[in-house]
Amino acid sequence: MGLAGIAMFAQGPGARIEGEAIFHKHVRPMLEEKCAGCHGKAQAISQFRATAREDLLKGGNRGPSLVPGDAKSGTLLLALEQTTALKMPPGAKLPEETIAAVRRWVELGAPWPEGPAPAAAAQGSDADAWAFGPLRPGKLTSIDAYLQAELAKAKLPLAARASRRELIRRATQDVWGLPPTPEQVEAFVRDARPDAVAWKDLVDRLLASPRYGERWARHWLDVTRYADTGGFSNDYERPNAWRYREYVIRSLNNDKPYFQFVREQIAGDEMDASNPEMLVATGFLRMGPWEHTGMSVAAVTRQQWLDDVTHSTTATFLGLTMECARCHDHKFDPIPTKEYYRVQAVFAASEFAEPAAKFLPGEARDDFAAGRKRLEDLMQRNEARVKEYELLCLNRAAQKRGLTGPSEIPDKEARMIRQNKRELTPEEFERFKVYQKRQQLYKESIKRYEELAYGLQHAKKAQDVHILPVGNLETPGERVDPGYLSAVWRGPQAGPADVTTEIAGRRRELAEWIGSEKNPLTARVIVNRVWHWHFGHGIVRTPNDFGKLGARPTHPELLDWLAAEFVANQGSIKHLHRMILSSEAYQRGSQPADAELVKKADLDNKLLSYFPPRRMEAEEIRDSMLAVSGELSLETGGPGVFAAINRDIAQQPQQIMGTLRPAWEPAAKRADRNRRTIYTFQMRNLVDPMLEVLNAASMNESTAKRDETTIPTQAYALFNSDFARAQALALAQRAGNIDGVWRRILLRAPTAAEKTLAASHLAKRTEWHKQHAPPARGERKALVRAITSELTGDEVMITEDIDPLPYEENLHPGDVAPGVRALADIALALLNSSEFLYPY
Amino acid sequence: MNSRRNFLYRTSASLGSVALSALLERDARAAGILAPKAAHHKSKAKACIFLTMEGGPSHIDTFDPKPKLEQLHMTEFARESKFASAMESGRRYYVKSPFAFRRAGQCGISMSEHFEQLAKVADDICWYRGATAESSNHPTALFHLNTGNKFGGDPALGAWSTYGLGTVNENLPAYVVLPDTAFPQGGSGNWSNGFLPPSYQGTPLRASGSPVLDMEPPEGVDRASQLSNLGFLNSLNRMHAEAHPSQTDLQARIESYELAFRMQAEMPGVIDMDKESEETKTLYGIGAKETDAVGRRCLLARRLVEAGVRFVQVYASGWDSHDYLEGAHRNRIRAVDRPVAALLTDLKRRGMLDSTLVVWAGEFGRSPDNGVRKGTTTWGRDHNPGAMSIWMAGGGSKAGAIVGSTDEIGAKAVECVHPLRDVHVTLLHLLGLDDAKLTYFHAGRFRQLSQFGGSIISELVG
Repeated sequence: MGLAGIAMFAQGPGARIEGEAIFHKHVRPMLEEKCAGCHGKAQAISQFRATAREDLLKGGNRGPSLVPGDAKSGTLLLALEQTTALKMPPGAKLPEETIAAVRRWVELGAPWPEGPAPAAAAQGSDADAWAFGPLRPGKLTSIDAYLQAELAKAKLPLAARASRRELIRRATQDVWGLPPTPEQVEAFVRDARPDAVAWKDLVDRLLASPRYGERWARHWLDVTRYADTGGFSNDYERPNAWRYREYVIRSLNNDKPYFQFVREQIAGDEMDASNPEMLVATGFLRMGPWEHTGMSVAAVTRQQWLDDVTHSTTATFLGLTMECARCHDHKFDPIPTKEYYRVQAVFAASEFAEPAAKFLPGEARDDFAAGRKRLEDLMQRNEARVKEYELLCLNRAAQKRGLTGPSEIPDKEARMIRQNKRELTPEEFERFKVYQKRQQLYKESIKRYEELAYGLQHAKKAQDVHILPVGNLETPGERVDPGYLSAVWRGPQAGPADVTTEIAGRRRELAEWIGSEKNPLTARVIVNRVWHWHFGHGIVRTPNDFGKLGARPTHPELLDWLAAEFVANQGSIKHLHRMILSSEAYQRGSQPADAELVKKADLDNKLLSYFPPRRMEAEEIRDSMLAVSGELSLETGGPGVFAAINRDIAQQPQQIMGTLRPAWEPAAKRADRNRRTIYTFQMRNLVDPMLEVLNAASMNESTAKRDETTIPTQAYALFNSDFARAQALALAQRAGNIDGVWRRILLRAPTAAEKTLAASHLAKRTEWHKQHAPPARGERKALVRAITSELTGDEVMITEDIDPLPYEENLHPGDVAPGVRALADIALALLNSSEFLYPY
Repeated sequence: MNSRRNFLYRTSASLGSVALSALLERDARAAGILAPKAAHHKSKAKACIFLTMEGGPSHIDTFDPKPKLEQLHMTEFARESKFASAMESGRRYYVKSPFAFRRAGQCGISMSEHFEQLAKVADDICWYRGATAESSNHPTALFHLNTGNKFGGDPALGAWSTYGLGTVNENLPAYVVLPDTAFPQGGSGNWSNGFLPPSYQGTPLRASGSPVLDMEPPEGVDRASQLSNLGFLNSLNRMHAEAHPSQTDLQARIESYELAFRMQAEMPGVIDMDKESEETKTLYGIGAKETDAVGRRCLLARRLVEAGVRFVQVYASGWDSHDYLEGAHRNRIRAVDRPVAALLTDLKRRGMLDSTLVVWAGEFGRSPDNGVRKGTTTWGRDHNPGAMSIWMAGGGSKAGAIVGSTDEIGAKAVECVHPLRDVHVTLLHLLGLDDAKLTYFHAGRFRQLSQFGGSIISELVG
């Protein structure tokens, strides 16, 4: 039936236009979103499909669903209105507005135009899927020129150039995630050369430092959800995952061409399996939370990974959120469910592996032998505990049988006794389980030092991938072959967009497609991310979502021009940094020239008439506090180090499968505890609470953009924590006086008013500290913790052995004079000050 | 252990009311992100106490007896399925309940003999036997119960509730968690704010150590020193904020420090059990070995709700009885029986039960059968997402109703069967919130607790 058939109901062309508009706005989205999962191409519950007008006219087991022109007949409206037993969609009733729209559409003859909505068609593909088309750079040739074009339209005055003092701080925090030293600040401020020359030198120096990769790797690891553990029940360690972190830092510091960086992470092993760098890169594909135990279903956990890797690959590199497409054709973006599963099929020929991969220069550290030795000691001690329980069993068994000792029990029987542990009381068995589990955990941990990559290998047989309606594994639909996303970019392939069906090469082909210099979406997404990390917001404000529901670019021609420049410079991220940092926009002051006008004309600072101030990020705060206190260790590389986190949380008993997780033990060496946060052990189920309250990234969901919320518990972490206080004390001792404290933390001398205030506070606090000796340093002793036994329901106490290594203490208040303790009070306040935490 | 952290609600509070400086005297202001918000519809429940029975209590041995298992006891069978875990596969045998059952209340709910106190308030409770979980593994099932998402990463029910309703006392966290001695599997992911702002994160008040992390200054720093240092910081921050008038978040930071220290001042009073009468403490079983721990958490839950906390989650762990079902489940039942019954009694006599929704649930039920363990049979049960018992009381739930049922061996729910997402939608509904409207745009779509929508279980609504 064509449009002619509808004319009998419609009262002229006006009605048809109205009907079609309703169809585009309400009916089609509803059918795709709410109906197609169960009544679609893949499955048709009640013999009913809702994918074409003919389907609705025909209906299912319950008769016709749609009678054009008659809103009182047909099951569609009956089900939506939910006045009878037939209630659809399952769950909440649709909003009245939608139901009324459907009713009107039926009355208007239920027109069903093919193709996209006319409005969108009129605007061309730009409006619908602007991100997928070829790059269309504007004619202008600098960032400032593009920005200025929009600023001029809004008639917004520009903030003046920031002072050199502000600029060096801004750039160093941005590029390194650390403050400059007071000496670096003074040298830059006094540099007699013109601004542009001095600035260029500074930028070059910052980008050439290893501190740059450490800082910017953190951004990338936010997106890819880096962690050293797998989450869920046991939160098992991934002992070689750290090499992926190193890979990212190294790639950034070496300015590896971005497109290569992309390809390596998707298919390094297929590109060159003999190169450890390539093997380590594929750690990306396993970064999501994942666990399989005897209590999970293998088919389910496998599917969980397949979904995860499909989502993370497309979101990370293409800025596409595909979660919707897992269950139904994407209702906003041109991504059919089938293509989601075609991308998934690319990964279905791979399985988890930890292939041998020699350490690369810089990866092996001198302290590996000591680290391994420590774990071996722990294992040995723990094994002795396990043996004690076995011996206990044997002794009791012997006693029961009236034997003089376990040696009299026949070997075979003794083995059974040792294995079954029936001689233990439930309480003893609960303790035994602690040590038994620990043995398993240590065995994994010791692999940290082995030359293995955390990655993938080819499976012996490629798993068939089926479309899963509503994501349900138990009702597989059509089987699909590997393929690309047809709407995004067709690339050089001729004909149908297929990926090989061979086991080998699937990921390499996908990598070559996503990681092609010609793929415009890939270039746009990374250019936007880098912009976002510099300015706090992207040209597209949803860096993980370039789809229709994401934000539109505020400066589309600028975005495409930057992307084109980026491609022309072989995907050099450092070149992109230089372009952005050398712009006037980046060097503007952080106070708007006319705050009132900005409030009216550009509240979100989309136009960048001033530089957007920001609070430091969680890791940046920790690193910067360590830097100004003089405690920061700039050691690089190696497995995650155990930082000193809040002691209550470190020692908090937490259940893992069958027993308790070992307590978090901070590294014995002070320098190890005080390394940059990027090198600290990242545990999914135990996040450093200080970082957590300061909006650290989730390790479970991709974080394209850090939140910056202000909540009261931040004050506890920054004002009361052992960590903050330790930094304040170390800093006070090194700084010596008020001026020194100011210079180290705020990189300037105090004003006269500040100095007066501080001097008076210092005098008061010195007096107090003279009269109050600090409490003595606490003793380190074995920790006793409780668990509710699943065997008896009773509480069982468990003794935790302490680390065998001698603990190198922090400076203690009792080690210093009252005047230094008072100065530490001043330092603590400055470490909490807005001026320190908001680098401009 | 660190003696500065000695004001534990476990052993009674030591910080009484402290003279407060001007810094702390400001009235609780309802402002900012946690300000109270209008509910989507009128509702009785203003607050929720969620009693989380972590580990998976056996419905068969608590509120859903299965006499048929008496006949099947110790008969063997085998199960193999692509969708069965190793735990569920292989040689298995049926297990009867070790407990006797009796009917309680006018409603006639059949419950295990060890629920002595709960039997007395049976008619205040809405019993539900039709719920189904989706995962047979602990953390995934617990994430599912708590956040609606098996794989974690989503906001918890308490986070969604406070996102929807805000709080009436800004001096206290809006969503408080009272964990058992050990945190559950999955840790703080179970009370996560997920993609919602961190203001909605559950704040665990730990039974030992500082109730809120680092809320108290270290040992040796007295209140006067703390206030003096804060005053100094405040002066610096004010000067800085005045010099940067266009940056409103600087003002917000100053206020959040003030709020933090008002919370520090208010919290000890709220958690101080010594303010309760001996009669009340005895009612909750405080002081008796078996019930002391859960009793304290339940009483504290009531005190927190009274003080204006919107959502309190109480954990009682140890229900994972693969072996020794008789001893372990009996102990757990006795540990919660008196405290939980007392909570309902106490809320009722204070006129708070109508406005407080109390929920009792584990992450799944347990199987009628057990696997052959260590080559032999033990009296225990594995996990069963196909059937479970949940109950609720107060807050507009239907008192005295017994809704839904399971098959004759308790393997599957068969009547009024609803997935957990419908339970979630129903709980939100009772709190005045509409799951379909309580959404947050994240990662390309509008997210909601039920994930993709669900329906209200009208049989549970009074």
